[in-house]
Amino acid sequence: MSAFLSRNRLIVLAYAGMIVLLLVTAIFSPGFLSVSNMRSTVVLAAFVGIVALGQTFVIIGGGIDLSVPWVLNSAAIVMALLCGGQDLPLVWVMPLLLAGGALIGLVNGVGVAQFGVPPIIMTLATNVILQGLILVLTGGSPTPSAPALIQFLSVGRIGGFPVIALIWLALTLVATLLLSKAAFGRHLYALGTSATVAEFSGVPTARTTVLTYLISGLTAAFAGMLLTGYSGQAYLGMGDAYLFTSIAAVAIGGASILGGSGHYLGTVAGAMVLTILTGLLPALNLSSGALLVVYGAVILITVSIGSETFAGLGGRLRGRRV
Amino acid sequence: MSVEQTVARAQMPTQMKDTRPGIDWRGRALDRAPFLVACLMLALIVAIYGSLQSGVFTLDELNLDTAAAMTLMLAATGQTIVLVRGGIDLSIGGMISLGTVIAATRFTDDPSTTAFWALAILALGFLIGALNGLLISLLKLQPFLVTLATWSILNGVAMIILPTDGGSVPGWWVGFASGQLLGLTSPVWMLLALLAFWWWFRATRVGIIIQASGSNEKSAFLSGVSITRVNIVTYGLSGLFAAGAALFLITQTGAGSPTIGKDYILPSVAAAVIGGVSLFGGRGHLAGTLIGAFVLTLIGNLVFVLHVSSYWQPVASGVILLLSVLASSVAEKAARSRVL
Amino acid sequence: MDLVTVKGLSKRYGGIVALSEAAFSARAGEVHALLGENGAGKSTFIQILSGAVQHDGGTILVGGRDYRPANPDAAQARGIAAVFQELSLIPDLSVEQNIWFRHEPRTLLGTVNRTEMRRKTLALLEKYDFPALRPEQELRRLTLAERQIVEIAKGLAKDPRILILDEATSALPAREAEWLLKLTRQLAAEGRLVIFISHRMAEVRAIADRLTIFRNGGTVAAHEAAAVSDDEIVTQMIGRHLDRLYPERVPTMTDRVALKVGNLTSGSRLSGVDLSLREGEILGVGGLQGHGQRELFQALFGATKASGAIELWGKPVAIGNPRQALTGKDGIALVPEDRRGQGLLLTKSVRENLTLSVIKRFTESGLLSRQKEAALVKEMVDFLRIKAGTPEQLAGTLSGGNQQKVIFGKMLLTQARVLLLYDPTRGVDVGTKGEIFQLMRDLAARGYAILFHSSDMPELVHVADRVLVMRNGRIAATLEGDYISEEEILRAAMLETRAA
Repeated sequence: MSAFLSRNRLIVLAYAGMIVLLLVTAIFSPGFLSVSNMRSTVVLAAFVGIVALGQTFVIIGGGIDLSVPWVLNSAAIVMALLCGGQDLPLVWVMPLLLAGGALIGLVNGVGVAQFGVPPIIMTLATNVILQGLILVLTGGSPTPSAPALIQFLSVGRIGGFPVIALIWLALTLVATLLLSKAAFGRHLYALGTSATVAEFSGVPTARTTVLTYLISGLTAAFAGMLLTGYSGQAYLGMGDAYLFTSIAAVAIGGASILGGSGHYLGTVAGAMVLTILTGLLPALNLSSGALLVVYGAVILITVSIGSETFAGLGGRLRGRRV
Repeated sequence: MSVEQTVARAQMPTQMKDTRPGIDWRGRALDRAPFLVACLMLALIVAIYGSLQSGVFTLDELNLDTAAAMTLMLAATGQTIVLVRGGIDLSIGGMISLGTVIAATRFTDDPSTTAFWALAILALGFLIGALNGLLISLLKLQPFLVTLATWSILNGVAMIILPTDGGSVPGWWVGFASGQLLGLTSPVWMLLALLAFWWWFRATRVGIIIQASGSNEKSAFLSGVSITRVNIVTYGLSGLFAAGAALFLITQTGAGSPTIGKDYILPSVAAAVIGGVSLFGGRGHLAGTLIGAFVLTLIGNLVFVLHVSSYWQPVASGVILLLSVLASSVAEKAARSRVL
Repeated sequence: MDLVTVKGLSKRYGGIVALSEAAFSARAGEVHALLGENGAGKSTFIQILSGAVQHDGGTILVGGRDYRPANPDAAQARGIAAVFQELSLIPDLSVEQNIWFRHEPRTLLGTVNRTEMRRKTLALLEKYDFPALRPEQELRRLTLAERQIVEIAKGLAKDPRILILDEATSALPAREAEWLLKLTRQLAAEGRLVIFISHRMAEVRAIADRLTIFRNGGTVAAHEAAAVSDDEIVTQMIGRHLDRLYPERVPTMTDRVALKVGNLTSGSRLSGVDLSLREGEILGVGGLQGHGQRELFQALFGATKASGAIELWGKPVAIGNPRQALTGKDGIALVPEDRRGQGLLLTKSVRENLTLSVIKRFTESGLLSRQKEAALVKEMVDFLRIKAGTPEQLAGTLSGGNQQKVIFGKMLLTQARVLLLYDPTRGVDVGTKGEIFQLMRDLAARGYAILFHSSDMPELVHVADRVLVMRNGRIAATLEGDYISEEEILRAAMLETRAA
């Protein structure tokens, strides 16, 4: 047990932090721990969690995906346009847009793995290009509202559980399997630790890199469609906030921004922490500006705890050579 | 000569190349390739622009375009220093917003109050940047994460001070941007000042140490460089320039905005990359960055003049960014293959 | 009267004792050699002297005064400069910028005074008769040997009273190495103290006045160079007889050809190599450094692009990347040169490292099986006697020898029977070296085919069945049986071609 704890130290800390935060929030806001409130917190966190799923894979592999905002937004808008408020088109529209998201991811991945474009630049470029293209497409005018089916997925419930929470749970299982129980995960951790060593060990580095961006494009597109269901409408700029929150969730969850370590389970805790903080707002009478300050402080604190300084300190205290 | 001596003497590497004959022109050209590509792109854009619109090759146009690009140029100058160091500064977005917000709420018609607050903003920029550098060194954290966090904090503070766009800036401050000397407006003089600054800075010990730390941090450390101090100065300067960008920005907008800063973060990196600054650190010249800033700014003009939707601007920016990077990566690979 | 006196110096890193009770004394105007195996404590000792590391116990006196520098700058202030094997040069700066780094002459504006810097550079290069260097050239364009020379200039630019040279000749070709040896005598004549670490007896003999021998973290003896024999030195360095290092030579070769290579060419360094390696054979690859050995191994493993024909066990194969090399029983595996940068994930466990290349072997219907993995790990840990507390221990915390064993294990698990070993015993302690040589012979006896490069000629001579000597990217000679000797290898490497 203690071996498990020490190996996954950072993830455990993230969950501990989440619980502490929940309790603190409950003190300031008595109704916070109610079933209905927890339910909506989980729903909101699910959106962050889904986008952050792809981001987690990319970051573990040593990259970063800055194209998340407009992949999300593009999928949202195109879905709204193609469905025109009807449910039936969803049957082909959803797979099409998921494929579209995957395709953007593929482009990102190939740019990074094959052409050696730094991830920051590659994904930044695809982001602004998508932004421009979508703006040209819509001319800035509003789109039809979301089909009812999508709305159900985002807002509806099955047996008391929000559908989206179930979706998130399923995705969490898949991600955990991929990372912990599949060859892909091992390859990914090796790649993120040292691309050279991975290459010399026969790891398919290019393919693995491309896959991470592909997954990220997929989850961003998926989240975009779900978000449209949640708010009933697709609007311009709806993806912007998710860049910061997806990266923050991954960082708070204990992953190293350089790659090679971390796990989606930690990201889940990170997404929850960020969402709970948002709920703390009205409770403490804080403005949205104060929330941003809190976000920043939380990130600094959590990554400091995970960083070398403290790891080294802990090691020395225990007399181990670190 | 005994076997041992022969053995000992022969035990090892390459013949030393005689490096005397001639300057390595091809190597040097390849090094400069990204910069040259940027110059070409700028020339191309200006040519197309000039062919479709009259009055482009005039001083007026230069004054106008430099004013439009100057905020980005200032932000990108700080970012260039950080990139040469081998890091990245995402917090400049927050600093720019905060700077405009403080100015818009504190500047008055009274010159001494305004001067005080202007200096305070600059000092704040440097101090917060220095704090970034300190956090990066002491906590051994990645610049990306630290500056992401401080961006959020600064942004938040800006929003607290001024929740929505507003405030006011004295007319004479705004007028600074149009002030002229010898037919050139202040932004153009600032451009020259930036180049002069860089030319000086790069030749100082501090500048060389920053470049060295970006080129190979381990070697710099082994040579006795205090990485902590380097980071403090590097990010401090970045913050200072971001504050300067804010002070210039309000001459263009006349008001403060808690969200305007984020539009300058990634473009500041893009401008530098287009201009040939390496994301890995150790190489790059401000002239390239400034050209990159011009390229990004002029795309807007070009889109307008071509009578296409202004929404094509981000698309063009993205494509140009990718082309630059591909060009420099090809050049870098060619350059690197000539070593060892 | 001594310039440097050290008594009872000790240093621990956690539970590992790097130095204990080390003693040392040297005078001005002397060249003093430090001898000892890898891991004996020499590096730690000079790191302490040069201010890079703080000692725990003991005293150091320099010029009669107590010496405990907090950092290299403080050491420099006391006149001590070091030239390490790990270069401290900045790739994007020029040669002269590197030489005067942090000590550049300045103008009133605070900028670097380029004319003055150039003058001082040329004066320095002239004074010590440096080999050809162009001050304005960007460092990244220089070869390793040239960089070593710049590093030496950098040390001299500080005008030190005491100059420490750590294996400074190891990267230098013959002519330049001789220049360096002359330089040390010149510096000593100027009244400086030169502390010189080298593995090469001939060099030590050529220049050292006195020498100190390290072993197991302590100083064993100090001698006037003229008063001690080579054998005595070696015995004191190793502490036991040299004989047992190499395994008994047993004929293990069969007629089956495991690896056949035709006209392998890559870049400018590999210019058409033909070879054939048989089952059960240990084939050595030697020659002077930089003549294509590294490129040969990397090309065979697919780590660099190459053209030419490769046949494994009679079947032609195309190896475009390591993944295509590691195909299982008929594949080819490489234990690479750079343990830390190419061979191991230092922040991952021994287990993860061992199994990285063979994930398919413990995957059942798409999912990893912990038990199967554990079985594979145990198999290798036991077979190779890898000393790690548990398989979960991080690879970065293992000793060099054990790290090397993990890499061996990783490659053995791929079941490839053709092994490429590039300098497998570099930086490995003597005990593990012996184990590795025995392992090689055991594997050969089991039908493995081994291609083996070492920068240490005695190893090639004593372990390999045949030796291919490379020169200018080609095989210059093939040596067999009685013809395998250091002299023959050298002759082939430097002089005329000899038929096999």
